[in-house]
Amino acid sequence: MRKALHGGALTDATRAAVSTRLATPQVIEPRFFTSESLVTLRAVCARLVPQPHPGAVDIAGAIDTRLADGIGDGWRYDAMPSDGEAYERGLVGLDETAREMSGGAFIALSGERQDAVISAVEGGSPAGATWRSLPARRFFEDLLAEAIEAYYSHPLGQEEIGYLGLADAPGWQLIQLGERHPRETPPVIGEQPHHDG
Amino acid sequence: MLTYSTDATVDAVVIGTGAGGAPLTARLASAGLSVVALEAGRHWAPARDFATDERAQSQLFWTDERLSAGEDPLAFGNNNSGIGVGGSTLHFTAYVPRAQHDDLRLKSSFGVGEDWPLSYGDLEPYYDELERFLGVSGPSSYPWGPPRTPYPLVPLPLNGAAQLMQRGCAALGIRTAPAANAALSGSYWQAGVGWRAACTNRGFCQAGCSTGAKASMDVTYIPLAIGHGAEIRSECFATRIEINSAGRATAVVYVHQGRETRQPCRAVFLCGGAIESPRLLLINRLANRSGHVGRNFMAHTGLQVWGRFAEEVRPYKGIPGALISEDTHRPPDADFVGGYLLQSIGVMPVTYGSQVARGRRLWGNALSAHMRGYNHVAGINILGDCLPYAGNRLELADERDARGLPKPRISFSNGANERRLTAHAERVMRDIWKRAGARDVWAFPRNAHIIGTCRMGTDAASSVVDSDCRSHDVPNLHICDNSVFPSALAVNPALTIMALSLRTADRYMQRLGREGA
Ligand SMILES: Cc1cc2nc3c(=O)[nH]c(=O)nc-3n(C[C@H](O)[C@H](O)[C@H](O)COP(=O)(O)OP(=O)(O)OC[C@H]3O[C@@H](n4cnc5c(N)ncnc54)[C@H](O)[C@@H]3O)c2cc1C
Ligand code: SF4
Repeated sequence: MRKALHGGALTDATRAAVSTRLATPQVIEPRFFTSESLVTLRAVCARLVPQPHPGAVDIAGAIDTRLADGIGDGWRYDAMPSDGEAYERGLVGLDETAREMSGGAFIALSGERQDAVISAVEGGSPAGATWRSLPARRFFEDLLAEAIEAYYSHPLGQEEIGYLGLADAPGWQLIQLGERHPRETPPVIGEQPHHDG
Repeated sequence: MLTYSTDATVDAVVIGTGAGGAPLTARLASAGLSVVALEAGRHWAPARDFATDERAQSQLFWTDERLSAGEDPLAFGNNNSGIGVGGSTLHFTAYVPRAQHDDLRLKSSFGVGEDWPLSYGDLEPYYDELERFLGVSGPSSYPWGPPRTPYPLVPLPLNGAAQLMQRGCAALGIRTAPAANAALSGSYWQAGVGWRAACTNRGFCQAGCSTGAKASMDVTYIPLAIGHGAEIRSECFATRIEINSAGRATAVVYVHQGRETRQPCRAVFLCGGAIESPRLLLINRLANRSGHVGRNFMAHTGLQVWGRFAEEVRPYKGIPGALISEDTHRPPDADFVGGYLLQSIGVMPVTYGSQVARGRRLWGNALSAHMRGYNHVAGINILGDCLPYAGNRLELADERDARGLPKPRISFSNGANERRLTAHAERVMRDIWKRAGARDVWAFPRNAHIIGTCRMGTDAASSVVDSDCRSHDVPNLHICDNSVFPSALAVNPALTIMALSLRTADRYMQRLGREGA
């Protein structure tokens, strides 16, 4: 499968963490969201964080798992409800905005129109009753941050940007500008079908 | 490890094993006291338990929910709060500059802020001792501050971000030096600790060092403390400090695996950090005759400026904060009180991505394109003063957490001084990056470190502890962590917290010898 996972460049602890993430199956039966809201969340995440192989990293599933397990990151904006409630209401709000702007549910819209809905939420005063009591900008920011963190903590997201820091078991000796170890020549992690960019 | 019975009265209970708790635990134990240190988190075995994986390492962060209010609500968790034997030193960047004389004299110099009831001379012998014991790597002659003993180890190698900052600063005539880092540039031996191996440049300090090269408390003062007979009780969350009718602390109650236990003791050292220490005091309605517990909350101005370079930086390699400048400690053209330092920074992808989300709000194809430039990104960070303001404080919220305790609500807004300082720093950093050849330069405003909620002072009406970190109200209660700082300092806090920790133990032992209390 993956060279680096089998090579000596990863410590046991790192290999265990990365393998677990790679092996995590897509969430089919959500434990926190309803099936419908998980579909909406998937659609939003696909617009926020595009993937070379769409859907390869299950960002929405990772959010569902975190909320179902009751794991937080240690803080929230005082003006926001609990993370779970913010997500539930925010997804309802997205559909409201989508209907107001384009006459259909978020998932029914074209990518371009979905982007317009997201931009309206990002802008802070989107159409829709939900946003009168849920700060839209804060919701957007928290969602975007979590989606980005989920994607770039996944080996596929890391491979896309050429991050190889995980292959540090032998240490790094060539650390100056422009210096590279042979193992830093991509792709180290995968023999995934290669993509442009 | 020696263990003590909960039926016996021990000499001291320490709450928290971070920068404030661990050194004094070792010091008290080495003086022959029976000491039990309670730690809410686990006692890790870094080589086995620490992955080079940011997500997995979120296990090191304090995740009980805190509520962030004010105009500049602060991020907690990975931004400033650790859990586990070693506390936040488990994930600190190991940057350990000393405070300078005038850092402790802000009010005398500028008429605002606070002076410390201590001088540089009180801290200096402890700085010397700490740098030797921890094995600090740094330049042979340090360009700023008073004359000082040389660092025990040569500097760590400069990585790409440090080289770029050096290039930009040289063009502008700003002096730089390799930074003092509490990470080993060569293997190092200390009595009571043994051999520690040299840093392998894995750049992962902020998510835990798996090699033991970084001088987090778990590989330095904790083994020393255990060697001297202290007991470290991990996964024990302190909830109550019992007080007798004479107003003295008599025991600490804590929860271990859902069960409440009581440890009688002759003295308590509260070292839970600048959120949990005041929170515990407020929950217990303790040591707050001044009404100052939770007040004077400060958070360093910590603006970061990122740039993209033609060269490959690969910002995951090398000690993250490799280069420093303190030329901006008291800038001649300053329109603000205090000052700041500049440091180069490397960064891991999830941390960087999270900043791109919150600071630039990039999404869609713009995000992907930006993130594909990750290997060409380098940063500069400031660490600057922050004044205390009446509105910046910690209170107990009505909402309760999973432990059934009131959540803390922390209100924070930068004042005019912080905004002016940050604007000055942004100009300087943008200039440096421009001269170094950066493109796509952007600034991420942030505040780092949590400071000042149990201020130290001579006036019992406006402070919580005296200059020995002893409570004005409860004579056998000491508070020793980032909460006691009267002013923020224009340097990173950990070395000064550790210095206070050793000093607190020494002063306590002296008093014990004199008064038996
Ligand atoms: C990412 C990051 C990078 C940093 N980099 C640097 C740096 O380069 N240089 C620097 O000087 N500083 C740095 N810092 C800051 C530094 O780590 C802290 O200032 C310092 O560790 C604070 O020490 P403390 O004793 O106040 O608290 P901590 O070190 O946080 O220790 C508090 C301990 O108390 C425990 N505790 C709390 N409440 C309870 C309770 N009720 N019962 C039992 N245990 C409890 C906690 O679990 C914790 O272990 C950094 C911090 C972070 C987050
Ligand atoms: S850079 Fe050095 S000190 Fe930091 S985590 Fe890596 S090995 Fe440890």
